[in-house]
Amino acid sequence: MLSFERFWSKLAKKTEIHTIRTKLILSFLVIALIPLGIMAVFSYQTYYGSLTASVTEYAHEVVTGMGRDLDDYFSDLEMLLTREQDFYMDQLIKLVDGNDFNNRKYVFRIWEDLNNLHTVKPGLEEISLVFSNGQRFSNYGLYSLDFAAFRQEFQASMEERGIAILGPHPNFLNRNVVTMVKPYSSPAAENAVFMTADINLDRLANITDVKLGTRGYVFVADRAGRIVYHPDADRIGMTSRFFRHDVPGGFADGFTDYEHERFFLATAFSPVTGWTVVSVAYADEIGAQVAPIQRITFAVIALILAGVILLAVYLSHALSRPIKELQNLTKRAANHDLSVQIVPQGNDEIAMLGHSFNKMIARIQELMEENVREQKMLRKLEMESLDNQIKPHFIYNTLDLIIGQLESNQNEQASSLIEALGNFFRLSLSKGREIVPIASEVEHVRNYLFIQQLRHGEEYQYEVAVDSDILDKYIPRLLLQPLVENAIYHGILQANRQGRIEILGYQESGSEDIIFEIRDDGAGIEPDQLRDINEVLRGLRSLENEKEYFGLRNVNKRAKLMFGEDYGVVLRSKLGRGTTAVLRIKAAWEDPNV
Amino acid sequence: MLFGECASKNGDGSMSRLRSVISLLIIGLAALLSILPAAADGYFEDDLTIAFLPRSLGNPIFLDAFEAAQKKAYELGVTLEWVAPFDFDSDLQVEMIENLIRRGVDGIVASVNDEEAIHRVFQKAMANGIPVATFDADSPGSGRLFHIGINNYKAGVEIGTALVSVIKEKGLEDQVLDTMIMTGYREALNLEERIRGFLDATADDVRLNIVSILENEDTVEKSIILLEDYLKMNPDVDVIFFVGGWPFYVTSDALPNFRQWAQEGGIAVGIDLFYDALLLQKEGLIQYLIGQDMTGMGAQGMELIVNFIRYGQVPPEFVETGLEHANESNLDRLLEIHKPWLVK
Repeated sequence: MLSFERFWSKLAKKTEIHTIRTKLILSFLVIALIPLGIMAVFSYQTYYGSLTASVTEYAHEVVTGMGRDLDDYFSDLEMLLTREQDFYMDQLIKLVDGNDFNNRKYVFRIWEDLNNLHTVKPGLEEISLVFSNGQRFSNYGLYSLDFAAFRQEFQASMEERGIAILGPHPNFLNRNVVTMVKPYSSPAAENAVFMTADINLDRLANITDVKLGTRGYVFVADRAGRIVYHPDADRIGMTSRFFRHDVPGGFADGFTDYEHERFFLATAFSPVTGWTVVSVAYADEIGAQVAPIQRITFAVIALILAGVILLAVYLSHALSRPIKELQNLTKRAANHDLSVQIVPQGNDEIAMLGHSFNKMIARIQELMEENVREQKMLRKLEMESLDNQIKPHFIYNTLDLIIGQLESNQNEQASSLIEALGNFFRLSLSKGREIVPIASEVEHVRNYLFIQQLRHGEEYQYEVAVDSDILDKYIPRLLLQPLVENAIYHGILQANRQGRIEILGYQESGSEDIIFEIRDDGAGIEPDQLRDINEVLRGLRSLENEKEYFGLRNVNKRAKLMFGEDYGVVLRSKLGRGTTAVLRIKAAWEDPNV
Repeated sequence: MLFGECASKNGDGSMSRLRSVISLLIIGLAALLSILPAAADGYFEDDLTIAFLPRSLGNPIFLDAFEAAQKKAYELGVTLEWVAPFDFDSDLQVEMIENLIRRGVDGIVASVNDEEAIHRVFQKAMANGIPVATFDADSPGSGRLFHIGINNYKAGVEIGTALVSVIKEKGLEDQVLDTMIMTGYREALNLEERIRGFLDATADDVRLNIVSILENEDTVEKSIILLEDYLKMNPDVDVIFFVGGWPFYVTSDALPNFRQWAQEGGIAVGIDLFYDALLLQKEGLIQYLIGQDMTGMGAQGMELIVNFIRYGQVPPEFVETGLEHANESNLDRLLEIHKPWLVK
């Protein structure tokens, strides 16, 4: 089973049966073959029916004609045998009855007469006058026959009209004949006298000489089914194998089976002879006559099929070639070769597909270039963000603060600050990862706030309230710190009073988005400036000075690059009462660095 | 009855002579009665069938033989079969003999159409125990039992000699005389023998120039047509030798060219002598005829072969039936003897 499946699979692969081209060819062939097949079967059936009908009609015409010929021939013979008071015959009869042999005058005339009839009537082998003493005067002279047997046979075969036709037998010259016998009525005859006419079977052969196919033939049988004439001389005298007692006339017209063979019989009855002419055609030969038309039909089908195959190959090639080309080009494109380009031909669907392919490739190219650009931009922004964090001023001040604490023996505080600073930088770098857990980013902000709180004399309080549910999710690194830095420098420090910074983190209800809010109760922002900043952040306006709103723009840009235009930073602020930076990002539930 | 008729005819002799005659008659009658009634009733146990084959049925010359053979067959209590092609046909004659052999006849007597062709079938018949004889036309090389007929060469010589006499009577012996010969078939041995005898007899004494030998295929009709056509085209021919009597079965009215030719001095002689031919001779259209005894051939031929079969009596190989001459001296007497055939 497995090996068969393997074989089939190999065969299918070898023949490329799976390809569109092969499927198209097969489809065309099937589409063409179904009507062709129907047409061929219909034509064959129609022709065979028509042929059978014409063969039947022809066979009937033939045998009817033969029956008519037989009737005409034997009617003529009957007329020849019908003599009314023939002087010479009457005289001879008297002489024969009286054993008077001075008969030359009559014998010679009778011989002459009989010979003339023999000469003028084709097939008339012998014509004679038969006497009850067995003497037979014929065109061959005088000889004897067994009169008792002759008369017995005559009586057995006698028709109602008083004549008899005796079945096939060899005549005086050993030629096969049938004999028509008619009594000769003469007042001069004391004993029975008959006139006979022997008809050579060759004459019956001539009358029935029609070739019905290679093996078909015509035979003649009497009422008892005994064969009178048959092309196969050995069958003459035998009862025909087609003879049936249950059929009027003994022979049934139409198809009949005999010894596993099928025949077609056509019959005609000859009333004059009482014989039936039977034509026998072999059914397979009738069928064979369809062979030429069958051959022609097959040849035409073969031609059409060849044409269909060529057309199918051409069409399938024409249709599949661009698809194949498209496939190759797609494969190349999939292998990072985006320089591929289809040259569409025509304006059909495949050409349109080609155009679309070209557009798609162009678009992919654009997207890839855009992506590259964006990635570059991200790298740049990240680097900028990182640069922004590692400002020398921030580092020096922090280090000075640490030195001061050490000098004032505030070792514990110094140690905490060093630890916070170390964590700050470690988390800033994050081993080069672009995406970090929210917990790390929050920890990074906590370190920053702790350091800045110490640096700025604890001018503000801060609170970080991030839902624990989102801590294990991921966020691009260094997104929160610039916003916190803005809250310190542009909010709290600008207000010159004790302030408070709150950092909230939560998942927006009903969505997958994560919201960070960085609130301060500092100086706030002028409404015009706030609108201006938000327009810049939404991309509605560009800035001439790249350094303006750098931190906000950096975070906003990175968020949009990473998550789309719906994401980024929006500021809410009231002058003198504080500002809230709202950062919306898409939650990442799995570590994208893995 | 028979006895009574004989007695009344011989009633005036002496008693002793009468007794001896009566005794002889009784013995003879007894012998005759032992045969005749049986023969008349076909009472022989052997029930023989003897087949005669003339050259053709259509040649009336054989009718004498036919009638005689019928009578003789009846007398002998045998069945006669008289079969032949109606027109001269050597092949059909051979085929007929083949079938006579197949049918098992007891004896065959044939007038041979083709001397060579008949050998095989004669020998086949004899191999089957069927005795074979010939009449009229012989086949000496076939091994047949006997031949009954005339000496054809001798007949040719005698008709040739008669022609010489006629020519000399007319004082034409020094002239070259264009001569036409009419025969049946050149293959027929008897006819060829007659021609040979005729030529031998005329070679020295008269100057015949044989201009044509016509073959009439042994048929009456064709012989008449040939003769009339020939004389129409060649009215200057001087002599005609008829090897057989084919054209003589019709009256002179049916032979206008011949009659005119003869009346203008043409000399005709022929073999075969019968009533119609004698009438033509009587009209002066034929100068000399020699006839053969066809009756004898039929009757004697039948008797000889039956005796051979029944009693083993071997006949002489050649039984000559003799010739009959017809000339001015005996013409009237012959016309009284011969019966008209009335076949035409």
